[in-house]
Formats: sequence, structure tokens, C-alpha cells
Amino acid sequence: MGTATGIIRALNSGIKHIAMKRFTLRYPEEKLKFVGDGYQFDPSTGVGIAGLKGRHMLFHDHCTGCQLCSIACEGVAEAIAMVKVPEEQKQNKKSIMPQIDYGKCVFCGLCVDACPFYALYMTNDYELSSFSKEGLIYTPAQLQVKPYVAQDSEIQISDRGATHG
Amino acid sequence: MTFKLPPGLALQKVDERIMTLNVGPQHPGSGHMRLIVQIDGDYIVACDPDPGYVHRGEEKMAEYRNYILNIPHLERPVIHDSCNVLYPYVLGAEEILGIEVPERAKYVRVIASELNRCIYIMYWLAIYGIFLGHSTMFMWPAGDRELLIDLMEKMTGARVTHAHFIPGGVRNDLPPNFEDVCLRQVNYFEKRIKEYAAIFYDNPILIARTRDTGVLSRQDAIRYGTTGSVLRASGVDYDLRVKEPYDVYEELDVHTNVMKEGDSYARSKIPWLDMLESCNIIRQALQKMPKSGSVRTKLKPNPKGKGLDSVYKRVESGRGSLGCYIVSDGKVEPYRVKLSVPSFRNLIALPNLLRGEKLGNMPSVYWSLNYWPVEADR
Repeated sequence: MGTATGIIRALNSGIKHIAMKRFTLRYPEEKLKFVGDGYQFDPSTGVGIAGLKGRHMLFHDHCTGCQLCSIACEGVAEAIAMVKVPEEQKQNKKSIMPQIDYGKCVFCGLCVDACPFYALYMTNDYELSSFSKEGLIYTPAQLQVKPYVAQDSEIQISDRGATHG
Repeated sequence: MTFKLPPGLALQKVDERIMTLNVGPQHPGSGHMRLIVQIDGDYIVACDPDPGYVHRGEEKMAEYRNYILNIPHLERPVIHDSCNVLYPYVLGAEEILGIEVPERAKYVRVIASELNRCIYIMYWLAIYGIFLGHSTMFMWPAGDRELLIDLMEKMTGARVTHAHFIPGGVRNDLPPNFEDVCLRQVNYFEKRIKEYAAIFYDNPILIARTRDTGVLSRQDAIRYGTTGSVLRASGVDYDLRVKEPYDVYEELDVHTNVMKEGDSYARSKIPWLDMLESCNIIRQALQKMPKSGSVRTKLKPNPKGKGLDSVYKRVESGRGSLGCYIVSDGKVEPYRVKLSVPSFRNLIALPNLLRGEKLGNMPSVYWSLNYWPVEADR
């Protein structure tokens, strides 16, 4: 193949893309769709449930204050600290619950694997940015709130290329 | 007492002809490392690679954490190839802890590993394109990578650094309907990367720039101990997936791509051929995978080894053979974890490849070695 033919073929390969659809996701307006409600773990079988590893969710009525999530995190990111909570739960005698610093968290989800009481899950919430370092520290009360996450875009594949439809 | 300065810092005799040039460590053409290049006019006389700027102490850190908590930090050296970089450690830990892996988990691992290999190579290819001034080849792979990152996100819950492999299998089962989505996106991905041939690999401008530059002969490739795509581009048929199959690779039909030239062009084309092969492997694995069953053996808390024991496991990563040597003394933490990384092995060949080349060819020769600075420093 001659040099000229090769260059024309290369140019042609690019020109064909004028007719193709845009693949880029326009992020703040469009948001990605995820499978499930976030990463969860079933201690009875020892297998997790697929989902995005985003911000945690803490179930106050399940947490016993056993600190296993905090111990697991000590070897990874030291993001979890056990803090006193004002409310009194029957199963939580010491009234301590995890507080998570998202400035340190690496979202590995090993704390969720460590929890034997179905108290700690992860959610689809990934927009955690804050103007201050203190804003990244989520108290047990904040972790209790189930987040609302907009999900509207999924990869669609057609003859004119892939797009985030 | 004589004080010896590190290489490159020593006062050098000023020569009228030879000029010493520092490429890096902040230069975008070198990654997190420095190349001390001596040039005579436009020609490179000598080259001294100076890695070590991103040393993280991964091996020492592994001695203070138990077998499970080592996972998030051991995959950090190559975040785009995090499943493959973790693979030998997990295989080794399974042997030390005496854990059996379910059949389905092995297939899930193979799929994750092949997807990760493609993600890494696409990133590498994007940078190779921009090094050669081919901006389209930067945009296309960076965009098409998203197809596979999306699959990994559905599978593991994270876009990079998945922390998915664990001694005893994988951490979660595949999401519902994953097989169909995976097949659809991998087929489209294969169609896309085949289009790269016309614009990049068959492009006369690329061929003119990379053909016969940085030639590594077959003997030298073996002598320097290079691995992976660099070794296969020099005509050595060596792929650990075929030669020492781990997990379920022996049940899959893996074809090794070999080229004889040993120049930058061959070294840049082999990873692309590997991606096409990876698509084949993923399709085979999806077909042969058991449709149901467990994906993880339940672990006891704080698993321990059975006394003094050592194991060496290696896998074929996106860059070459990646080994992990684990020594256990029966405690909760491993006594020693040693990573034997392909990037460092491939870097050893660099000074010999650059001698006599023009300075303008340096980025194409350097990046064609499939080198990842953070992995070499670990």
C-alpha cells in the first residue's frame, strides 16, 4: 500500500466519525445509571451483592457498636471513628456508632464485609464534595439518611455508534 | 572517606560536543521518572533511567496488615490494571491459607482480569498516541475505554481500584443480566478497536516514525529478562496464560501474538492484538461459565497460614509477567510480600534501545516498552 493511499484511508477513517453519535456523558445534566442500590454484603452466605461503592448508609436499629468496621478500616484508611450518639438503642449498650471521614475513605467496602449485623451498606451517592474538610466527616445521623441519586443515562449501542442515551 | 553523589547529580566534565539533558521527573513525556539523556547534536549517546520518585513502600506495608486488609493497597501500583496486579497475591494467599475457590469465581476472575487488561492497554495506547502527536489516538481510546469501565463498575462497584478479588474468590456475584450487557459492549468494543488499524497502525506516518527505531533483538530480549509485549514483539512466544495457565485459562483457547521485528512498531502493535485476543477470551469465558453457584468461599475472621510457608505465583498482566512471593510464618500478617513487576524488567532494556537514536524518537521508544512508573517503584 502506498503512502498516499494509507494517508487517505486514515483521513477517511476519521471523516466517517462525523456521522457518528456523541459518546460523551454531559455530566452534571446527565448522570450514570447503576445496578442496584449500592454494594451490600450478606454475612450469612459471605458473598456481597453487586452495586456501586459510594457513600455509606448506617442502620441505627441494627448497629451494636461492636467496632468491627472501625477495626477493618484501621488497616486500610483509618477513616472510621466510633463516636457517642445521644439516642439509646436496645442492642447498642455503649451507644457508639461509626462516623466516617470521606477525606480518607478509599471506598473499598471492606467495612461492609466486616459488619455481621446488616447495619452498614453502601449507596449510589458519589457526589460528596465539600468546601471544608469538616464537611467531609459524616456523623452517624447523616449516615442514616438514604440519599436521592438521579440516574438517567445508560450506554446505548446502535448502528451509528455508542451513546449515553 | 569519599562521598559518592547519586547518578546525574555528580559534577560532570563539560564536553563541547556532549550535552546532558534531564527528561523528567515533571516532564509529561516521562511519567514519574527521570531519564538522564546525553546527546550529541540530535543523537542520543547514552541514557540513564532514574526511577524511584513514586516509591510507596507497598511491600513493607503488606507486613503490617492481614491477608484481607492488604488488598486495597496492593492494587494501587497500577490503578488501571488493579485486578491483574492483585491476582498473584490472591493466588498465593489462597495457597498459604488453604482455601478452595469455586468454579464460577474463577471464571468471574478471568473476565475481570481480561477487562482490566483492555482498560490498561487503552490508557497506554492513548498516551502512546499523544506522545507521537496523534491527538485522535488520544481521544478515541480514552473514550472507548468507558465501555469497559462501565462493565467493571457494574461488576465490582468501582471504576478504578476495584478491590474485587479476595482469597477464596471474588467479593460479589455478577449483577443480573450482566452476561448480555458484557457481550454487547465487548462486541462493540472489538469493532471499535479494529477501526484503529486504518487511522493508526496502517498509517504511513506512524510507520515512518516507529519502524526500525529502538530495535531489540531476540537474544537481547531474553538476556535482559524483558517480559510481556516487549518479549513477544521480539519474536519469543511466551505468554503465561498459555505456558503456566492459572485458574481456568487452560480450559480457554488463548492465542499468543508474536511479531519478529522487535522495533517500536511491533511493541506498540502487540498490545493492540492482545486486546482483540482478550475480547475472544471474554466471550469464551462468558459461554463456559457456570450459570449459578457460589463465587466466594466463606472465610474465617483473621485467617492464618499453617506455619512456615512460602509461595511464588505469577500471572500475565497488561505489561508482562507479574509475580508475587509471599512468606508466611503462621501469623495473621504475611512475613514478607515481594512483588516482581514487569515494568522494571522492561525498563532495563531502555538504555540499550536508545543508544544511537534521535532524541525525537525517545518518547516512542520509551513508551513502547509498556512501562508504568508507579509499578516499577511500587
